[in-house]
Amino acid sequence: MEVKAVSRVKVSDIGKNVEQLVRLDLKDLMPLPPPYDKPGMEPEMTQPKDEWRLKYATDLDGYIGIDIPWKPQNKEEEELLTQRFLEGLKKLLSEEGNWTFLQPLLLSLEYCAKCQTCSEACPIYVSSGRKEIYRPTYRSEILRRIWKKYLTKTGKLFSDEVELNAKTILRLGELAYRCTLCRRCTQTCPLGLDNGLITHEIRKLFSSELGIAPKPLHELGAKQHLKIGSSTGMTPEGFKDIVKFIEEDIKEKYGKNIKIPIDEKSADILLIHNAGEYLSWPENPAAFAIIFEEAGISWTLSSELVGYDAVNYGVWYDDVMLARIALKHIEAARKLDVKKIVIGECGHAHKALTVVADRVLFDEYNIPRESCLPLLWDIVEKNKLNLDPSRNNFPVTLHDPCNIVRLMGIVKPQRNILSKICPQFREMNPSGVYNYCCGGGSGFAIMQSMNFPEWRSKIASRMKFKQILEAFRDTVENPEVPKYVCAPCSNCKGALRDTFEHYQATSRYNIQYGGLADLIVNAMVDLKTPYLEFLK
Amino acid sequence: MDRWYGVGVVEVLPVSTYVTIVVFIVGLIYVWVKWSGKPLHLRWELYPVPHEPGRTHYGGSYMEEVDWSKRKLSKSLTEELKEMLKEMLFLKRVYTYNRPLWYITFLFHGGIYMILLWFASLLVYSVLTVYVSETVASIIMLDRLNQFFGYVGIFATTIGVIGLLIRRVADNSMREYSGKVDYFNLIFILVVLLTGFIALSVDPYFSLARMYMVMIVSFQMTQLPELHPLTILHIILLQLLWIYIPYSKMSHFLGKWFTYHKILWDDEPNIRGSRIEYRVKEIIRGYKIPWSGPHMKKDKSWLENASEVE
Ligand code: SF4
Ligand code: SF4
Repeated sequence: MEVKAVSRVKVSDIGKNVEQLVRLDLKDLMPLPPPYDKPGMEPEMTQPKDEWRLKYATDLDGYIGIDIPWKPQNKEEEELLTQRFLEGLKKLLSEEGNWTFLQPLLLSLEYCAKCQTCSEACPIYVSSGRKEIYRPTYRSEILRRIWKKYLTKTGKLFSDEVELNAKTILRLGELAYRCTLCRRCTQTCPLGLDNGLITHEIRKLFSSELGIAPKPLHELGAKQHLKIGSSTGMTPEGFKDIVKFIEEDIKEKYGKNIKIPIDEKSADILLIHNAGEYLSWPENPAAFAIIFEEAGISWTLSSELVGYDAVNYGVWYDDVMLARIALKHIEAARKLDVKKIVIGECGHAHKALTVVADRVLFDEYNIPRESCLPLLWDIVEKNKLNLDPSRNNFPVTLHDPCNIVRLMGIVKPQRNILSKICPQFREMNPSGVYNYCCGGGSGFAIMQSMNFPEWRSKIASRMKFKQILEAFRDTVENPEVPKYVCAPCSNCKGALRDTFEHYQATSRYNIQYGGLADLIVNAMVDLKTPYLEFLK
Repeated sequence: MDRWYGVGVVEVLPVSTYVTIVVFIVGLIYVWVKWSGKPLHLRWELYPVPHEPGRTHYGGSYMEEVDWSKRKLSKSLTEELKEMLKEMLFLKRVYTYNRPLWYITFLFHGGIYMILLWFASLLVYSVLTVYVSETVASIIMLDRLNQFFGYVGIFATTIGVIGLLIRRVADNSMREYSGKVDYFNLIFILVVLLTGFIALSVDPYFSLARMYMVMIVSFQMTQLPELHPLTILHIILLQLLWIYIPYSKMSHFLGKWFTYHKILWDDEPNIRGSRIEYRVKEIIRGYKIPWSGPHMKKDKSWLENASEVE
């Protein structure tokens, strides 16, 4: 079906009665550097299937983030959706409903000067070729106008143009999943306002009031996590089996006899990995086991429900779900009577449990939670491992997971390690707290339904891909030279995996990705074979 | 012009000046209380947080250390102050991220600071004149300084506000998002400034302004200098602006304190037995969930919602 789109979209167009507000075209997107500057280097953009349009909100840009059939089918359903949305908005602006973020939300809604200083900081807006709908202020302004017009006394008189109808709500719902909550825009706002937070709040309204959220985050993510034990669907038994398998693998490949501790009482550390690691990148938890064993750390894993999966998808869309999962993590630690929780290489799990959930914990639930990165640096710095940097003598760059770096200020430990063990380490530009998101942030990495992955790889991850190509510009076109993007975060790795596949970056140019612990183990002198698969 | 509908505008002027000052201060207190009265929010800091000793320059935090919770955390107030001043005085973020706008907005804000200095010097001059001696006031050349601030202030602010208005209209992305109130605020300021120019033309050395201020600080309301009708209009508009500021977006100088200090730079951990922990307990036990989503336990407390999972 040929779909007409609006040529220059305005804020007030959000409720416009057109099938699809925007139609993206490859030629509009931000150009990529060599060797991706030639035509034919990436697939064209596609349009949604007609049958998708009936059930899902393809009304924004044709892509589907919310993969549950929530499109109203008649006038009554449309009206009900509008009413329930307004009810939700009231609760979002109330102390009882939203004490968690009320002050930041209201400040961001009240004070925006519409100066647009924040726009250029947004990788999604810039990558898209500056499409208006992706401007950080676009969705914020819509929410602001709806609030002023429909929920304030003076609203009718002074509010600015916006129409609250089903189209508006469908598009706003999707728009909440066109921002990775990276908060790069917030760093540039002269007034300290937070468009990333507004995205988060819109997601919360949809989830908490209407029960609407992408399946991978809510139904298969957070809910399954609480019920079965892991968002991956892995049960405690399944988890123990995988750990056994990892032990055998370490023995077989590297001749090391390591007993990975599970449910050891009174250890110093409960280490929690993102359970996705066990399934997709088991070499990472294995590397931790090798390092901790060698360094003589007192540690354990937990096989308690939720206790073996560090993810907390609640942090992206629903505060109650965030709190539920965080409490379960703490319960697992309490049961084992450990001194502290250390979170493995998973960015959002870092932020969720250490920072955001900090103010829902109290009394005996308030136990120390820390990042694995300072600990890894401590081990490397104190020479507890016998490392030979020449084993990592290939170009390495570092991706800074937003959640660990910009949002937690853990910047140096990972750099210190790479500087010490990777002779060809080079920074991306910009890096550290000013990094660009991998494009998988806020749940995007696990949202694999319908055409969403295409949008993610083409738009959300585009800036990161550009940075990576630039960081390796000296050897990028030489497939003989492996190039390693170190990403100490499971979700970032997931996004990189899909991006590299989309652009065929590994098959064409030997651009690899992986964790930090893996690189450390690769440098260990007593390993007979290289630890990193692509070196074998 | 000094009598409108039988009301002595001129006599009312000093009184309304006092009223303006009071309403303005009350307004600021109201805004302060409104924002500080909001419940404790979850942590949502954003790095760089400028009070991390030795880590500010690269945006690091105390969480870069193993066992940070066992140490006593320290904050560098000077670093925080430095960052605040850079932002307040030089509008650092606009300078870094939006240079074309910076030239205009710096002129505008710099002009406002000059006008505030003009007010301040006028005030000091008047207080000295009334309560010490006029000679002291003249020795430290307050009148000269006062003129400098006044002229630079009014010119810079006016050029700035006109520039901001033009930019708002001319720049697609700003126009598209600007609302009625955004224009109203700028036009209001412009009108006050234009009437200010008229007042300036009849009082180029600010002698009337000084007399007026002397009257205000000495509480001698009968000693009102003779004012040009347009000067009176200017004073009235200026008073209305001051009254309006706290209730408008122009109170962003207060809002900013909260967005930075209370949110983006608020990295205070919840330590066992701390005030934060006490507040967390209160909130989480007290507030009831109003949400209707199928996974919510409506009307049960936050704590019950968080700890009871099906
Ligand atoms: S930079 Fe801040 S004030 Fe300016 S448009 Fe963006 S959010 Fe609004
Ligand atoms: S949080 Fe990140 S993705 Fe979202 S609007 Fe801001 S810069 Fe863009």
